[in-house]
Amino acid sequence: MRNTNPIWKGLLLLVVGGVVGYGIGLGLDLLVSRSLNFNGSVASAFALLVAVTAFFFGLYGYHGITRGLAFQVVGTLLGGFFVSGIRALVGSDIIFGTFFFSEPAWVFGALVGVLAFLFGVGVVSDWMKWARGIDTPEHHEDEPGWQKYFGVSLDHKVIGIQYTVTALVLIAIGGSFALIFRTELAQSQLQFLTTTFKLFNQTGPQFYNTLMSLHGIIMIISILLGISGMMNYAVPFLVGAHDMAFPRLNAFAYWIAVPASVLMLMSLVLGGFDTGWTGYPPLSARAPVGMQMFFLGVFTAGWSSILGSLNVIATVVRMRAKGMTAMRVPIFVWASIATSIIALTATQLIGLSFQLVMFQRLVGMPFFDAAKGGNPVLFQHLFWFYSHPAVYVFVLPGLGIISEFLPVFVRKPLFGYRWIAMSSLGIALVGFTVWAHHMFTSGMNEYLRVPFMYSTLLVAVPTGVKFFSWVATIWGGKITTPTPMLFVIGAIIVFLMGGLTGPPNAAIALDLHLHDTYWVVGHFHDTIFGGFVFPFFAAIYYWFPKATGRRMNEFWGKVHFWLMTPSFFVLTLGMMVIGLRGMRRRIVDYDPALGFDFTHLLMTIGGFLIALSVLIFFINLFYSIKHGEKAEGNVWNSRSPEWQVPSPMPVHNYDVPFEVVGEPYDYGLADSKYIEFSPNGSKHIEFEPVPEVEKHH
Amino acid sequence: MVHTQDKKSLLGQGIVIFIYLAVLTGLEFFVAISFNSVPLLVVVALVKAGLVLYYYMHVYKLNLESEHDDESYDYKAGTNRLGLWLFLVSDSFVFGGLMIMRINLLGLSRPELNQLLGLGVTAVLLISSFFMNRGETLIHNGDRRGFLLNTAVTFLLGLGFLLGVVLVEWRLAIEEGLTASSGPAGAAFFMMTGMHAFHVFTGLILLAIVWINGRRGLYDVKNYPVEAAAVYWHFVDVVWIFFYPALYLIGTAVH
Repeated sequence: MRNTNPIWKGLLLLVVGGVVGYGIGLGLDLLVSRSLNFNGSVASAFALLVAVTAFFFGLYGYHGITRGLAFQVVGTLLGGFFVSGIRALVGSDIIFGTFFFSEPAWVFGALVGVLAFLFGVGVVSDWMKWARGIDTPEHHEDEPGWQKYFGVSLDHKVIGIQYTVTALVLIAIGGSFALIFRTELAQSQLQFLTTTFKLFNQTGPQFYNTLMSLHGIIMIISILLGISGMMNYAVPFLVGAHDMAFPRLNAFAYWIAVPASVLMLMSLVLGGFDTGWTGYPPLSARAPVGMQMFFLGVFTAGWSSILGSLNVIATVVRMRAKGMTAMRVPIFVWASIATSIIALTATQLIGLSFQLVMFQRLVGMPFFDAAKGGNPVLFQHLFWFYSHPAVYVFVLPGLGIISEFLPVFVRKPLFGYRWIAMSSLGIALVGFTVWAHHMFTSGMNEYLRVPFMYSTLLVAVPTGVKFFSWVATIWGGKITTPTPMLFVIGAIIVFLMGGLTGPPNAAIALDLHLHDTYWVVGHFHDTIFGGFVFPFFAAIYYWFPKATGRRMNEFWGKVHFWLMTPSFFVLTLGMMVIGLRGMRRRIVDYDPALGFDFTHLLMTIGGFLIALSVLIFFINLFYSIKHGEKAEGNVWNSRSPEWQVPSPMPVHNYDVPFEVVGEPYDYGLADSKYIEFSPNGSKHIEFEPVPEVEKHH
Repeated sequence: MVHTQDKKSLLGQGIVIFIYLAVLTGLEFFVAISFNSVPLLVVVALVKAGLVLYYYMHVYKLNLESEHDDESYDYKAGTNRLGLWLFLVSDSFVFGGLMIMRINLLGLSRPELNQLLGLGVTAVLLISSFFMNRGETLIHNGDRRGFLLNTAVTFLLGLGFLLGVVLVEWRLAIEEGLTASSGPAGAAFFMMTGMHAFHVFTGLILLAIVWINGRRGLYDVKNYPVEAAAVYWHFVDVVWIFFYPALYLIGTAVH
């Protein structure tokens, strides 16, 4: 037993758990519906839940995440049976529904399941003790080794990595969904998602809709977790703090995202939902139970985002190193603040809008039911008030990463530090005033279109500031191109394409034609790849040595980049070309007479090549953890404080506090210092500084 | 931590502010039934909220300078205070969203509700805020017994508000034909009072925790938790300062 590799044990139990769960589900379904439903939802839902729980049991044993998932399964069942029992007691006609439980029972069960997860994983136990008046130690020490990543840790470095890995897992899941429907789209007509196809109570086209919707929302959640990962990992280092301001809240914010992801996946098997990730009523008021799981999942994940950003703001305001005045804060920290302001406030509005639809479905409250005096457009206002600024939440940290890394790799000061810092805030604030540009065709009052067009175009100004700064920073620099820098350059180019394709959508006259076409899909994927995906990979390649003391393989990193970038261009340029020619988005099929078949085929190939490059990245990542080239020093010759101490980072970050004595990005200037460790009792290791040859003119 | 400011003057201040708030609430009611001016009601609500934010919630404490010793209790309490206020900012977006929903769906009409009961529960919540402020002031000055008494009164009044809304007001409304599914007025009413009642409920849990632990002398010196519970409780009051006119006073009643 001891010699078995835990991963194999986990995978074995995954299969066993899947079979057992499937059996339980089949049995329960048989009891209620009196027929065996082999490709039905209930059996699959149980198979999914039990299999995942069993996998972690094999990997890690019965604590941490395993306990949380087990609690979630039991909690969901108890909650579901509780409501079903009450319905039986009051003599309701519908005690059980199509998906075993009725809809209210599923919603209540899911809610209880989330709470049960949090108790099971143990992330609220300290608070429970505090409520009973029992003090707990300030810092828990983590066990060494990989196990700590599967249980509750209060260390921001561990939580940052937990976030990042979860984000990568979700990217893989969401990406696989995209590959499935991209394959269907490669040719006109229905090939395998046909009307006779049947899975989880869905026909082929319905299943396409669910996959398309889930691709959207799972990627969004993974982006939110990804930026939280970067911020959690880097912000305390960069400001010289030993941890985040509220370590327990930090752990809570991470762990609540795990049951949220489970809910998302449950929506797939509980009938799915066909609204796209926007969930507009009236369609979302009629979709299957999966819709409710989607709403609850987003609501729960939203709390992760809100509490995480609260923590980031408090950390930066209260825990900066001595001498780190507002204009000496690293630029990534400014970006994190701007992001956090949006996430802290606006996220509540998507939560509220989804809650209102949930209540409309459960209790019949006619918020968005026009027949009873409600207003469907109100939903869109509430929804987009978050969901447009949300894209700035996605890209601002990435843009911060670009500004943070560029000076390191061109050995020149960052051009216009103040302007970049303020442009992040500017984007965040202007971002609050642009939401209705998603609604030009929704039937809202026409006079509202013009102000929203202008406010949208205004976003180009602070974004342009960033571009000019990047170009001026690169100008005349000594460019080196290790993998992180490649991804930074890729990010700038791709985000430029995303940025330039934005104003056409903002112009009302054009948007009336571009709305709901692949053009918008292409634009969106450009902004998100440029603003998040490329910088996220850059950040992983850049900080990997800090986390592990080893660096990722350069060759395979470059393969990853050179495979992903052209494939990505094929994909999104293809989208834009056919979008301009009238290809509608979100649909399973298109008319062969349109002549889009060949472009769609190219795009599908591009999609698979991107997936291949990401697979290479995953292999490189896991291989390098143990076998990567040792890199314990200042790998990138950076001025940033975290690189002035050895890797991997000590448990409480800096043994000796540092003081900020100069400007952060004065690369290439002789005699310029950013930080100084306090002289008494200095335990850190001095690295031999690499001589700066060229001076900046 | 003992405040330098005189205990008596702080308690006196609490009484004066309470009188202001009570008078303003009466004025609000009078304005609504006599000439129904929406701008005036908005102004009164803003003034009331301002008074509570400043004198009961001590928003200025965010600006307090404490010595920069990261490990000191005062510095950590300051960080916690910032965290709590950030949470309240976030939470107020929920209530702001509900308000926008109400304005969008109902405009200048409102659900037909029992005016006396509305004024009654509003008064109960306001009085509970007054006792909360006394309790907090007293524990800051080392008076545990006074703190316990005042917090217990706050708790009972808060419970009275919760039951008054959920058991009495909701049932009366349903009997009058205003149900959750009857139309936008009913939906807005139940959603807004429901969300507020949920916050009152969580506030009551916090008060109970603070009372039980306070009885064991846990907050005689390190009393930030009392402040946190009090600020949260006042926040719930501030929300009601806006929801009360929005649901009971503005515009004309529709059925």
